[in-house]
Amino acid sequence: MSKIDPIAVGIYWDRLISITDEIVNTLVRTSFSTNVRESYDLSCLLFDGRGRMLAQGSYSVPSFTGTAPATLQHMLKRFPPETLSPGDVVITNDPWLGTGHMFDINVMQPIFRNGRIVGYCMSISHLPDIGGRGFSAVAREVYEEGLRLPVLKLIEKGQVSELILELFRCNVRAPEETIGDLMANASATSVGGRMLLEFMDEYGIDDISEIADVIISQSETAIRDELRKIPDGCYENAILVEGVEGTVRLACAVHIADGRARIDFSGSCDAVPSAINVPVCYTHAMACYAIKCLTTPGIPNNLGSVTPVEVTAREGSILNPVHPSPTGGRHVIGHYVAPLVFGALAGVMPDRVQADSGMLNLINVQGRNREGREVSSIFFACGGFGALKGIDGAPTTPSPSNMTSIPIEVWERLTSMTVLAKRLLPDSGGPGEFRGGLGQEIVLRNDSPHPLTVSCLSGRTEFPPLGMLGGEPGKLREISINGEVVHPKGRYVLAQGDTMTIHEAGGGGFGDPKQRSREAVLADVRNGFVSSQAAREIYGVAPAA
Amino acid sequence: MTYRIGVDIGGTFTDLALFDDAAGTAITHKLLTSPDEPSRSVLAGVVAIAQSAGVQMGEVSAIAHGTTLVTNAVIERRGVPTALVTTEGFSDVLDIALERRYDLFDMRIAFPRPMVPRDQRLEVCERVRDDGTVVTVPEREALEAGLAELIATRGIQAVAVCFLNSYANPANERLVAGWIRERFPDLYVSLSSTVFPYPREYERWTTTCMNAYVQPIVDRYLARLEDGLGELGFTGKFLVMSSSGGTLASSIAREFPIRLLESGPAAGALMSAHVGKVLDERNILAFDMGGTTAKGCIIRGGTPIKRYEMEVARVHEFKGGSGLPAKIPVIDMIEIGSGGGSLAGTDERGTLAMGPRSAGADPGPACYGRGGQRATLSDANLLLGYLGAGSFLGGKMALDEDAAGRAISSQVADPLGVDLVEAAWGMHEVINEDVARAFRVHASERGIDYRRSSMVVFGGSGPLHGVRVARKLKIPKVICPAGAGVMSAFGLLSSPPAFEVVRSRQIAIDRLAPSDLAEICAELEAEASGVLVAGGVARDAIRIRRRLDMRYSGQGYEVEVSLPDEDPQSLRDALPQLFDEAYAAIFGMTLPGRPIEILNWKIEAYGPLAATHETYRVLQEPEGTSVLKRNRKAYFPEAGGFVDCPVYDRYALASGDSVVGPALIEERESTCVLGPGDLLTVDPFMNLVIEIR
Repeated sequence: MSKIDPIAVGIYWDRLISITDEIVNTLVRTSFSTNVRESYDLSCLLFDGRGRMLAQGSYSVPSFTGTAPATLQHMLKRFPPETLSPGDVVITNDPWLGTGHMFDINVMQPIFRNGRIVGYCMSISHLPDIGGRGFSAVAREVYEEGLRLPVLKLIEKGQVSELILELFRCNVRAPEETIGDLMANASATSVGGRMLLEFMDEYGIDDISEIADVIISQSETAIRDELRKIPDGCYENAILVEGVEGTVRLACAVHIADGRARIDFSGSCDAVPSAINVPVCYTHAMACYAIKCLTTPGIPNNLGSVTPVEVTAREGSILNPVHPSPTGGRHVIGHYVAPLVFGALAGVMPDRVQADSGMLNLINVQGRNREGREVSSIFFACGGFGALKGIDGAPTTPSPSNMTSIPIEVWERLTSMTVLAKRLLPDSGGPGEFRGGLGQEIVLRNDSPHPLTVSCLSGRTEFPPLGMLGGEPGKLREISINGEVVHPKGRYVLAQGDTMTIHEAGGGGFGDPKQRSREAVLADVRNGFVSSQAAREIYGVAPAA
Repeated sequence: MTYRIGVDIGGTFTDLALFDDAAGTAITHKLLTSPDEPSRSVLAGVVAIAQSAGVQMGEVSAIAHGTTLVTNAVIERRGVPTALVTTEGFSDVLDIALERRYDLFDMRIAFPRPMVPRDQRLEVCERVRDDGTVVTVPEREALEAGLAELIATRGIQAVAVCFLNSYANPANERLVAGWIRERFPDLYVSLSSTVFPYPREYERWTTTCMNAYVQPIVDRYLARLEDGLGELGFTGKFLVMSSSGGTLASSIAREFPIRLLESGPAAGALMSAHVGKVLDERNILAFDMGGTTAKGCIIRGGTPIKRYEMEVARVHEFKGGSGLPAKIPVIDMIEIGSGGGSLAGTDERGTLAMGPRSAGADPGPACYGRGGQRATLSDANLLLGYLGAGSFLGGKMALDEDAAGRAISSQVADPLGVDLVEAAWGMHEVINEDVARAFRVHASERGIDYRRSSMVVFGGSGPLHGVRVARKLKIPKVICPAGAGVMSAFGLLSSPPAFEVVRSRQIAIDRLAPSDLAEICAELEAEASGVLVAGGVARDAIRIRRRLDMRYSGQGYEVEVSLPDEDPQSLRDALPQLFDEAYAAIFGMTLPGRPIEILNWKIEAYGPLAATHETYRVLQEPEGTSVLKRNRKAYFPEAGGFVDCPVYDRYALASGDSVVGPALIEERESTCVLGPGDLLTVDPFMNLVIEIR
């Protein structure tokens, strides 16, 4: 293949994405954990023979996209390409080499064609369990967080390492499900490899690096063209977020010059002795994600979308902690990186930025259900989506991560918890010319005869989702057990009959609420999204009696 | 003498076919759809086709009808004011929805408006546990008062009753439905436990709300049609096509109108399966491409694949996830935003993209000369010589090559820096690749190796692209059937009466006694057969298909297992092996020793086909006297570019004739493009059978 014309590039590119979509499909359908199959807490990616990321499954968690290219490099440093053989599968869950916490297993398989590596396929998913203190923020050192796997060969020339499986069996809760998911990731990478080879055969392509050159450079050009529209300069922002013990400060300085963004997070506070520290791989991923959303949301993700963005953070800070800082709940803080960057650029990209979202609430539940079966599952619930210029925030929509909530009927059967209510919270969306999305109230009761341990991992209980450019904040999140307010990052035991009530935060509003159209306010009142009182007092609109 | 008529209403045309069962012949008819009152075009078409066949209405034994009424009513929100009656604490399930973004990076995505507005929802204090235990029985008084008020203030005409866990026990829903029917006999009532008793409340409830929302409209429409046909003297059976490829008695269609979504395309897929059966091709890819979209369907062992969920009314650039889920048995169709009117452009990446936006019929592609300025697929196909400027729609509509050239130059060739022909070829090829990709992804999601299948192509643009698409998919044979222009109307006449009942009942197979299997099957079979018997099918002519959704205990996704046609009692011990085979076929592995469970039971009853002949000969006059109409320059890159290509009249070809490509075979609604070396033969049924070489 000599020169690739622009028409062929589009065809090849779409084909590579469809391959990753098919890998995701395989993973979802063969997985045992609800995190994967109901919540899509996963990602599947293809790399070329030089280890450059080319395509990613459409339904994925954004952070994994940002971390995977670095993870592959760590793996190849440990096992250089010339030492790899067909049938090898390499894994790690090291927080600093992988995705920032040990729950995510990174699984990689080299793809061989005629004895040569032509690409790599990677599959990442959140395991049902990894031992230690379970999925929570309570650990004070990484040692308490479970089984940490350096870069290892899970499968060597087709032979599964019984030693590694034994380690899993001895260290994790729900071992069969966890091993099932580990192997599901491995077979997903095989599917990806097979499909890449079929693609290369069909088009007579010996080396996808040439295609990679074009895809990556076109993506990079597109993102840099957008960045050039921002006046060169330094744009800063700082926010406060509740930690486990005290307040956490996050700060960023976004330097824009010549179509590149250098984002420095060094102004953030020091790492803390709770499992909410964010390894810099995750910080980097979330910062790249924010820039991508602002500049080129329509372009499929690949290495070209991350190269124009450079991320730095002071070593030992909460956004670049060092060993042995615990990191299990790193997303609890890490998710704030995206709104932090949006806030910094609000003045120069008012048409693109989004007001703060109520964000995701993760509640890890462990114990036994009515039938005595072991339970280790995450209840995901969303706050409201932040408003944007021209668009009200959607109710109960995740941001920036993209887990999917589990249906009530599936959750009840799985855990023997009864969901007593799941309803929107009126007036929870931040007022604005464009209103923030509504949060929700969820009431859960443990109706299993066994106690259930719940570990909460969420924020927005002290510092609300902020509005933007005149918009007002959304309502705070609140979690209570048997009527008593509890810490959003604590760990509690629900005895039979105990009730947990969660109020998910509303999204922030965008623009001055007084500018909101009368029709929009009246429609909100009619739908019960906004009370008559709020319509009068905040929006200055008196609904007809 | 028996005659049967199939009528398929599409957005632009209403297609009809009349079968003469004694002679084994068919005639076809097409007329414009009257959008304001579609029943008018059905009645007008029936009169016209009967007249041209010289048939009295009294001699017509059956009329089968496919309609887009339900789809359009949902998309355009033209249903009736509908109330949702639901479990206390959960009336917002429709707004809360799936709590998922269907696009990772686009923060401006839109979500569909819920089927029932928030102020038309009524909560009832009731509760059923996940295992089916009734915890709280609803109270009658509050319910009736609440509904009375909604009727007074919102003009409610239909009610969807949707309770949590009702799939496990419908008692509370039924109780409430009884009260509503007694107190408000004019209301239409849909129950989530009847419409589709599956777990996952958002999808089940949305489906039930849709059913309620369109029910009065469908009820009145079908009544009007039946009355109108009666007045014309029709006394035969009136059947309605369902989404799953069987016909329903109109009484059932009125109860479950949601089962009529996309019934026309389902008929086309079914017809493809039928064509395949006649030619002894059991594995088929059906490919139908029209003006705005293309549809595909995979047929295995003579039967189209089915699924139990589709998405309606997408609100954000046709994106998956931006529509409303409908849980019903449907023929598993691929929908691709590619058609003759697909607009060309460059995307954010700077590469060529086609569709999903379409120029529609008016103004249409630039070459239509009706003021359309945008470059479309049809413009490219005209420049490449595949379409003839003077032979489109049988020569009734002249195409403007200059306009097509101008549009493609300015919108595709210049921005991409390629010449006009490269640009047109690129547009043609991007569509081929889009369609091939859609088939590929669809097949792999279902774990199907399609490569030894044959492809059946139809629709206005299907035969233009079918051979190229087939080549990409390594499909060796393409069939362009007789009557391809009205395939769906043919399909309506080739569908058996059928009804499928689906139940969610979770049982581990090691806890399943052989008699349990037989008992559960028998219960569902009685229900499904009863529907057919009520529609006039003789009980002893009814056959049963049994399918189970099974999985390894702890997994969240099921694999469908077809049970062999034996006494269910004897199948208990064969279940693990049947499951392992199905699982391995999709995922290439099994997990020996892991417990297996049954989730869903799908029982379909179907009756005999009315057809007396395997195929019906289409009566159609050739255009002139010679088979070879003319020569035209057409583009074939493997032959070095434009070649002087023969153009044949399909209606003048005779059984046994053969043609070697490059060649173009023109018929009124379409042109079949044969690549260099491809061999076409006309079979005894007048199908064009193309071997790809």
